[in-house]
Amino acid sequence: MTTTTESLPLIELRNVVKNYQSEAGVFPALKNVNLNIERGEFLGIIGKSGAGKSTLLNMFTGVDALTSGEVIVNTNEESISLHSLNENDLALWRGRTMGVIYQSFQLLPMLTLAQNVMMPMDMSDLYHPRKSRERALELLDMVELIDHAHKLPSLISGGQQQRVAIARALANDPPVIVADEPTGSLDSITADHIFKLFERLVQSGRTIVMVTHDKGLMPRFSRHVEIADGELFSEADRK
Amino acid sequence: MRPRWRKVLSDLIDNKARTLLVVLSIAVGVFAIGVIAGAYVIISEDMSVSYASNNPANIELRMDDFDEDFLNTIRKFDGIKEAEARRVFNIRARPLGKTQWTSIDVITIEDFEENEVNLLTPLSGKEIPLKNEILLEQDVLEKMDAAPGDTLEVQLRDDSIKTIYVAGIVQDSSTGAVDFLAPPLAYISTDTLRLFDQGELFNRVFATVETGQDDDAHINIVLSALKEKIEKNDYEVGRTFRSLTHQHPLETTINAVLGILMALGVLIVFLSSSLIANTLSALLTQHLRHIGVMKLIGGRDKIIFKMYLVLLVSFGVLALLIAVPAGGQGAYGLAQFIATMMGFSLLGYRIVPSAFIIQIMVGLLVPLVAGFMPVINGSRVTVQKAISGDLAGESSEQGEGGANRESRFEAIQFQATRILADRGIRIKRPLLISLRNTFRRRGRLILTLFTLTMGGATFISVFNVRVTLHEYVESVGNYFLADVTLDFDTPYRVSEIEQFAMQDPRVTYVEGWAFSGADILYPDGTTADNVSLLAPPAGSSLVDPLMVSGRWVQAGDKKKLTISEGIYDLYPNLQAGDYLPLKVNGKEESWEVVGIFKFINMEGILGYAPYDYISRDQNMANLSFSYRIVTEEHDRAYQEMMAEDLDAYFRDNGFHVQEATPGLSTLDSAAESLDILISFLLIMALLTAVVGSMGLAGTMSMNVLERTREIGIMRAIGATDIRIITMVLVEGLLIGIISFILGIFLAVPFTYGFSWIVSTAIFETPIDVVFTPMGYGIWAGLVILLSTLASVLPARSAARLTIREVLAYE
Repeated sequence: MTTTTESLPLIELRNVVKNYQSEAGVFPALKNVNLNIERGEFLGIIGKSGAGKSTLLNMFTGVDALTSGEVIVNTNEESISLHSLNENDLALWRGRTMGVIYQSFQLLPMLTLAQNVMMPMDMSDLYHPRKSRERALELLDMVELIDHAHKLPSLISGGQQQRVAIARALANDPPVIVADEPTGSLDSITADHIFKLFERLVQSGRTIVMVTHDKGLMPRFSRHVEIADGELFSEADRK
Repeated sequence: MRPRWRKVLSDLIDNKARTLLVVLSIAVGVFAIGVIAGAYVIISEDMSVSYASNNPANIELRMDDFDEDFLNTIRKFDGIKEAEARRVFNIRARPLGKTQWTSIDVITIEDFEENEVNLLTPLSGKEIPLKNEILLEQDVLEKMDAAPGDTLEVQLRDDSIKTIYVAGIVQDSSTGAVDFLAPPLAYISTDTLRLFDQGELFNRVFATVETGQDDDAHINIVLSALKEKIEKNDYEVGRTFRSLTHQHPLETTINAVLGILMALGVLIVFLSSSLIANTLSALLTQHLRHIGVMKLIGGRDKIIFKMYLVLLVSFGVLALLIAVPAGGQGAYGLAQFIATMMGFSLLGYRIVPSAFIIQIMVGLLVPLVAGFMPVINGSRVTVQKAISGDLAGESSEQGEGGANRESRFEAIQFQATRILADRGIRIKRPLLISLRNTFRRRGRLILTLFTLTMGGATFISVFNVRVTLHEYVESVGNYFLADVTLDFDTPYRVSEIEQFAMQDPRVTYVEGWAFSGADILYPDGTTADNVSLLAPPAGSSLVDPLMVSGRWVQAGDKKKLTISEGIYDLYPNLQAGDYLPLKVNGKEESWEVVGIFKFINMEGILGYAPYDYISRDQNMANLSFSYRIVTEEHDRAYQEMMAEDLDAYFRDNGFHVQEATPGLSTLDSAAESLDILISFLLIMALLTAVVGSMGLAGTMSMNVLERTREIGIMRAIGATDIRIITMVLVEGLLIGIISFILGIFLAVPFTYGFSWIVSTAIFETPIDVVFTPMGYGIWAGLVILLSTLASVLPARSAARLTIREVLAYE
């Protein structure tokens, strides 16, 4: 479906339901979730462990299948129903459109920092190998890790690894970045550095969706929603 | 380098142990195939060329003494191209100062320079012996230590001892080739005959035919006609042999043996491919997170598939770098060994292009084929599964809606544990964990068990085949039950020899045997082959035949014989009671076949008839040249001592002893050749066992690596090093023991299969299979050792893991 997408929300979740099957029976992880994410937003999704926040994030990224409902992403003059794409098309789309950051960094341990940042460009074939190298170094410079560009991930700290993960997420210049507890395994000072980096990215026009359990971060998001037992509550709901 | 290829390179070099395991698994198979394919080609090319280059005789006649004039008559015979005469006689020789005599057939060559048939290849020393010099065939060196320049003592018929100078060592690929069990050969010129008290007459003809040198039927026609002509001239022909110019007489046997080795080589490739599949599927499981990350940042199935395909090809290329040069050397080594054993020369070291191509194909295709499914499955895994580390294939099964549920096997395990616990039998917790761990990855377990079981079954069956072959050779020994065979140059009265022999208190029994030769005729009257007729006294206890059908000879049988199975080559439908056309002493007769027995067909067709009939037919009633003597004890050493003593005793009493042979000596050379074959089979079996244990080692390392987190947790709650090590070792041992039990059963059809192939190749007849506990015992010990060794390193790595490392792993 191709329409003019500028006036539409960047991501729309429509009646999203996700159930897990277990020996104990059906477990509803997301219950009829509806959510719109606008361009340039820094959205925080806040909830306790097991509330369904990571499951919700997996619905945005297409990493997990939904039970019912729809996730629409409106980018590049295109509206895409994410879960109608097959695994391969989804991988390519995600690589070009979305930067994903995890709590555990998920860097490839056998590659240097620069090679890790180059990897999305290599996979998506958007940049010439030489150009991708230059861009990887620029991004590492941006996250203040240029001096470590040729080190392996195991030789730098957790906070530095997370900055590399952010640089990697920006590699293909995606319009949206999705982060799952990106500061969860970092000390408070490092976490603050990372958060400041996100804020700078939002100021430069990116959309960031971040999942966290830390309610203390609420004031730093441009908007936040809370999730509990698979249901979303907005600030308005709370009031 | 693009990051994706950098990752492939890192995967290849970062985990050296895993890369080495995969590369060696491929290399073992490629090496085995290379060695066998290369040897096969070298031998089939060189054996016929080398054999033909010595211009082997198409016809050999063993006959009465004749002179140069008669040789000229043979030379002029229609269809004969070249004919040479030799005098062949048996002597006993030993190096000066040694005590052990060796029986040698001495061949007199009239003119070494003009020699055209059955050419000799000089190996060291002189090519032509002068007067009172001797050339030794290289096989002699297996029996005695001698070199050019040495002096030998030889014992003559009158017991006098002479000395002769060893001029050189030669190889004769033609003369000895037709008679596998014949004594080794030596060569002298006519001048030296007088030293041995031999007359200057010939007793063998070696001839080539003018046309059809590779056509057995044509050679047979020429031979039959020649033999008839010779017999018309009142010469008796004892035995005849036919050979094709371009076919070594043992070519079929060698090819069959190489065929068996090739089958084992293919089995090794097959086993190594299952090992590769196992290792690669584990590698893909370990890389699940990497695949997930790559898919998360834009990697498609095709890209990931290509990356791992390149990894597979790299494994293959590395394996080829090891296996191709080693395989080439091994091929030539094996070919050289077989050539030396069979008495022919190779044309020189070379790379065999076809073996080279086969190795490259196997080296590249095997990892691709074996790794295809794991790579396809790995590249198709979803991001969710990959990132979450949901290891598909763990023991739990998928229920409806994708939920994990307890597998039937787990349910049985839990129930069995509960039942035992209810009865007060409590299995220790670490042992329980080992038991459960063993069956957690069933796909991997099945592949590991398959590899190890096949290796074990092959190993066990090779031992069974060895005993089966030896038992058969021993049962063939039932035709030679006497402890000493005493042959004389002239016939003596049976009663006289019996009386003399019995004077030695160690002798318990004596029999005089008669011998005759006959031609087996086709129904149209042409000669088909020879039969050597042995004639023991009726009811002799010194023959215990393996009857296939009919009965043994008995007193009163006239023109009746029992014949060996080799007759089926000429008369496939012959049955006991049928009549066989024979030519005995120049007369065509019809003999009744009263029975058919098993024998080594390679040794020609053998027949038995009663002494009374044959000796009377030869006008030698109550006389004999050859005696079978039974002594008090029957071991080889005792037989050798008795042979020496009886030889000396009869010579001292004026008898013309030709030779005294220990009863078991004839069979020893046959048994030795079998042992060489068995050692080849055993090497291949060991290779399969090595592949099997490599599979187990790989599996154990993968299991430990995948359970790093569990091990860390166990350590965190107090598991000591020894607990962790024991757990891993018990798991490895359990796999070894299960494979051993399965191997016991699988060894049965393997034993039957191998025995059938080997016995039909060597003996040209299927033989009864014998099972020995030896193979089972050795394999049981070996599999425990291999399982322990295969688990020790992974167990030590497991024990060395610290809780911090385990957390870092996550």
